[in-house]
Amino acid sequence: MSMASNADQFKQSFREEAREILVDLEAALLELNENAGDGELVGRVFRGLHTIKGSGSMFGFEELAAFTHNLETAFDEVRNGRLEINPELIDLTLGALDQIRAMLEEGAGGAAPADPAACAEILAKVRRLTGIAAGGAGADGGGKTALAAKPCAASGGAVREWSIRFAPGPDLMLNGTSPLLLLRELRQLGGLSVKASMAAVPPLAELEPERCYVAWEMVLATAVSRDAIRDVFIFVEDHCELSIEAVAGPAGEGLADAAAKALDEPRSQSGGRRTYDKPDTATSLRVPAAKLDQFVDLVGELVTVQARLSELAARRDDPEIAEVSEEIERLTSSLRENSMNIRMLPIRATFEKFRRLVHDLARDLGKDVELTIEGADTELDKTVIDQLSDPLMHLIRNSMDHGIEPRDVRAARGKRPTATIHLSARHSGASVLIGVSDDGGGIDAEAVRSRAVEKGLVDEDAPLTEAETFALIFQPGFSTAKQVTDVSGRGVGMDVVRQRVDSLRGTIDVASNRGTGTSVTLRLPLTLAIIDGLLVGVGDAYFVLPLANTLECIELTTADIERANGKHVANVRGVVVPYIRLREHFDIRTPRPEIEQIMLVETEGGRYGFVVDRVLGDCQTVIKNLGRFYRHVQVVSGATILGNGTVALILDPERLAQDAVRLGRQGLQRGHGAASSAGVAGRGRKREGTGVSAV
Amino acid sequence: MGINLDEGEALSTVILCETVDISSAAELKALLVKALGSGKEVRVSLEGEAYLDATAIQLIWAAEREARSGGVGFALAGPVPERISAALLDAGFDRFPAAECAR
Repeated sequence: MSMASNADQFKQSFREEAREILVDLEAALLELNENAGDGELVGRVFRGLHTIKGSGSMFGFEELAAFTHNLETAFDEVRNGRLEINPELIDLTLGALDQIRAMLEEGAGGAAPADPAACAEILAKVRRLTGIAAGGAGADGGGKTALAAKPCAASGGAVREWSIRFAPGPDLMLNGTSPLLLLRELRQLGGLSVKASMAAVPPLAELEPERCYVAWEMVLATAVSRDAIRDVFIFVEDHCELSIEAVAGPAGEGLADAAAKALDEPRSQSGGRRTYDKPDTATSLRVPAAKLDQFVDLVGELVTVQARLSELAARRDDPEIAEVSEEIERLTSSLRENSMNIRMLPIRATFEKFRRLVHDLARDLGKDVELTIEGADTELDKTVIDQLSDPLMHLIRNSMDHGIEPRDVRAARGKRPTATIHLSARHSGASVLIGVSDDGGGIDAEAVRSRAVEKGLVDEDAPLTEAETFALIFQPGFSTAKQVTDVSGRGVGMDVVRQRVDSLRGTIDVASNRGTGTSVTLRLPLTLAIIDGLLVGVGDAYFVLPLANTLECIELTTADIERANGKHVANVRGVVVPYIRLREHFDIRTPRPEIEQIMLVETEGGRYGFVVDRVLGDCQTVIKNLGRFYRHVQVVSGATILGNGTVALILDPERLAQDAVRLGRQGLQRGHGAASSAGVAGRGRKREGTGVSAV
Repeated sequence: MGINLDEGEALSTVILCETVDISSAAELKALLVKALGSGKEVRVSLEGEAYLDATAIQLIWAAEREARSGGVGFALAGPVPERISAALLDAGFDRFPAAECAR
């Protein structure tokens, strides 16, 4: 790899890690807003800013470093007790983080400010707050000047000594890192005694000129923690040997002795060249998302080919082929599970970033709102997570603007002055439930209905359940807001939520009580790629039921049907379970067998049975999109290609059950098409809204 | 040009005029090898805006070691500029190769 591409790669690495630090900084600032006296949080903010500044300077982001320097100084003043945390400083710093984020964007060159006027305004205000003179270290583009001008940033707490050994790895300098700049960074933390060791420098002929053979032994007297020292090396930690050990004894004694002792310790050598063996094996790797997507796509193709092999092996009746096929099936299954696990991410980062949105909107709307989070460690596929931000943002904006009442109204209603927005996540079978709830005024169902009638979305006398009424708010252009604000009211946001959730093959449930609040629950699939399924057959058609939903299989005989007086219910060990005949639901016109099978599945609405002709066994199912033509077919979540080349539809048990209940109810209301006593689907007619024929 | 080799009758002088870092380290190595191979005494001259990073320092250090072991004279052509001397001390180098750093 060329030096230039190495440097680009490490610049990109800096960008990615700096963005993560920004996320942490934002969270810390918002917490600090609530707990202004928390010294730990102040330290966290200072260290984050310090790291971005120092590493930014090292990787050539000079303007970014200079801009960040002023903020770092402000928080150093806070650490020293010379400046108090106040909402203005928090807001200024949050605004500054937005600017830093913009500077980190690709194509920002040396990270010049995207909005110089905004940056200048922020800096002017920070200087006014802190009393830092314009033209100081930060104003002259001097991340470096700042380093040199500030011999000791350490303060507070007891000073102690740390013995530090730093040996650059073979490729450290190729990424643009300068070890000497790292030493200057360290010097900023306190009194530093440094000794360069040339012991590993090989003979000139063998010396690779772009590699650093010099190692450094240092003793640092500082009040900062080991983590803060380690932060100096945060971007090179995987490319060097680094040890940071506390030195016993009082500070100020034996600095030189400690350095000398450290240098005397034997170092592994090979032919005069220091061997580079990392002391710790890296426990994580940073991989571009596109590579991961490609990997999962390939696994998907492998699963499809493996299904063909299994089919072939079954037909050949050759024990040797069958054995190989089974082994490949087992390995493919493990590979699929592993690849899918790699893509599973906790939803925490997505949830946490809304703290900022709530903070900013609360300020703009003049409301007191706190965000609470539950189930942040719930994992779901990265592809799903990537598409969740927009819907959640719109739901939160809607809650903040329309749901949560103004302060005076809350006071008049005897409510807590500070309102709550609650974000939650939890698993439910093969789905994940994402909740956004508030303790605001709730949805006015009557107003929603009136507005829907006014817009011609429903007839004036249409019988709508509460859930159906609430579902109207997700119609395009629907809004009951009397005025359009900067936040919401155009009737666009909820439409975006619906579209995005639809594209993820998810569903939306709304529950609301007047005066006490609203809760919106998004039910989303855990993954969009490959699932474990149960293959079933009805006539010539094949269907896949997600294995996570299925409970057991029982037989349904003609005698059972007669005993139920034709109702679609089965007696499962004394428990009456309603069932849905896939043959009827999908209008499959082939004779049914004497003995059918009922697949029992668990849904949010309870236990249901799906009646099929035969159960063919479990299968790894690569989910293929059905395309735009079938996008309104809610009961089918996709299709998959079987080993024999046949297409099988992947059923969504939740929606299938809901659909059956809805059709059953409509049948009752219209007085034709008898529904079962359990409210399950009517029979023997083409299902409205299904719009799909069996394959 | 930031790095030059001046080959006189009795001396080979490697002249450093600009910053020598990883981008020019290979060139410096080639000139040092050539200078040592000439059999003449070697001088290193720091001129103008010369500045050295770790890669340059270790090259000169290795060249000096090689010259000494081969009995070839190797020294600086003049005093070490103060800013280089200070930066080297900050970085933990006791002395500039082939010269004592001013303390």
